[in-house]
Amino acid sequence: MSTRWYPIYQKGGPQLRVFLPNFWLKLIKPTTEQPANIVQFSCSMQMTKFDIKNYLEKIYNVNVVDVRTRIAMGKTKPDPGKGYIVKEEDEKIAYITLPKGEVFKFPDLFANEMKPEEERDKALKEAKEGHNKFLEKNKNRPSLPGWFNI
Amino acid sequence: MSTFAKIGGITRLLANSSISKVNNTCKLRSLSTTPCRRELMEFFDDEKNWGVQEVKSGRSWKSDELRLKSNTDLHKLWYVLLKERNMLLTMEEECKKETRLFPSPERLDKVEDSMKNLETVVRERNKAYHLLETGEKGERPRKLETNVLGLHYKYKMSEHPIPKHLNTKWKKQYEFYKYDKEVEMFREKLNEKNYLAKKKQHRREFNHVIGLLNRFPNMDMEALKQQYPEVDIEKAKNSRKYGGHFEPK
Repeated sequence: MSTRWYPIYQKGGPQLRVFLPNFWLKLIKPTTEQPANIVQFSCSMQMTKFDIKNYLEKIYNVNVVDVRTRIAMGKTKPDPGKGYIVKEEDEKIAYITLPKGEVFKFPDLFANEMKPEEERDKALKEAKEGHNKFLEKNKNRPSLPGWFNI
Repeated sequence: MSTFAKIGGITRLLANSSISKVNNTCKLRSLSTTPCRRELMEFFDDEKNWGVQEVKSGRSWKSDELRLKSNTDLHKLWYVLLKERNMLLTMEEECKKETRLFPSPERLDKVEDSMKNLETVVRERNKAYHLLETGEKGERPRKLETNVLGLHYKYKMSEHPIPKHLNTKWKKQYEFYKYDKEVEMFREKLNEKNYLAKKKQHRREFNHVIGLLNRFPNMDMEALKQQYPEVDIEKAKNSRKYGGHFEPK
């Protein structure tokens, strides 16, 4: 079931089918070290273990051996500005076991990220180029304002 | 059958590059190929978009465009959007954890917007189908109910396996209005509060209109009437606040 409303299921009735599921699933980096064939997900609170298994198998073509879920309680802490106590949302976390021999490693998404110096140089270069272009355009029309254009 | 065999043969031949040139001359429909199975890597963006500042993207699907699509197409598009949203959520979460800026966060809004539009289109079709077949909309029925505090709300009805009078759980969960002295008092006070607020608003608008008339005597009266339909302009003109501190002509 997705979070939508469906008619009640009674014995002998037709099987309930979800045509447009609106569940979301996030693959998250495990905080503690896990075996190589275990993948950690954060999912919609309404999802059951069966939902997660079917979701991954039917939509993503991932073979799932086992699903375990837990609900992580959101942190309670004082609001940074106001000081009153606020609680973060609870989230459901699912641990998926892949079949024996299959391995998943969470990729390093920021490996080929630009360094701050490179970024700064790039921005400076772009600004210089823009300025040169502007000068080039206004070379033959002195004393005209920069916004004057056709 | 024969075409199938042909296509099968050609796909086999295509693997051999030396012979594939010969087959290009054949009149064939473009081969439909399924995208490669990336499985769990579908939860991540393209590798070229990792760690970049900006990711260019198009606009969201409009409902008018989606209305032209067949049901199967919409069904397929839903899953594409669902996967895209999961991917974006995953990337956003990872960026948050690594204290980086998530590049082009408007992508998520676009996907959500498309999903919303798609759902409205599917719902429209569903309604039309139900109206044609059964004479009802086929939506979840709702009823105007009064809760324990005497306030009206739309109660979403649902099916139950046992009748109402036997369903103790339902009875506990949904408490509807029964006569209560204190609730009546509360309702009276609430009504008074609402009435006073309305009156105050009306008075404020009335005075504002007088102010406008004083400042702009040659104003378009039709426009004024349209903007403040509640205010009686003739009455406003008779007010002692109307007219400046000078002798009338």
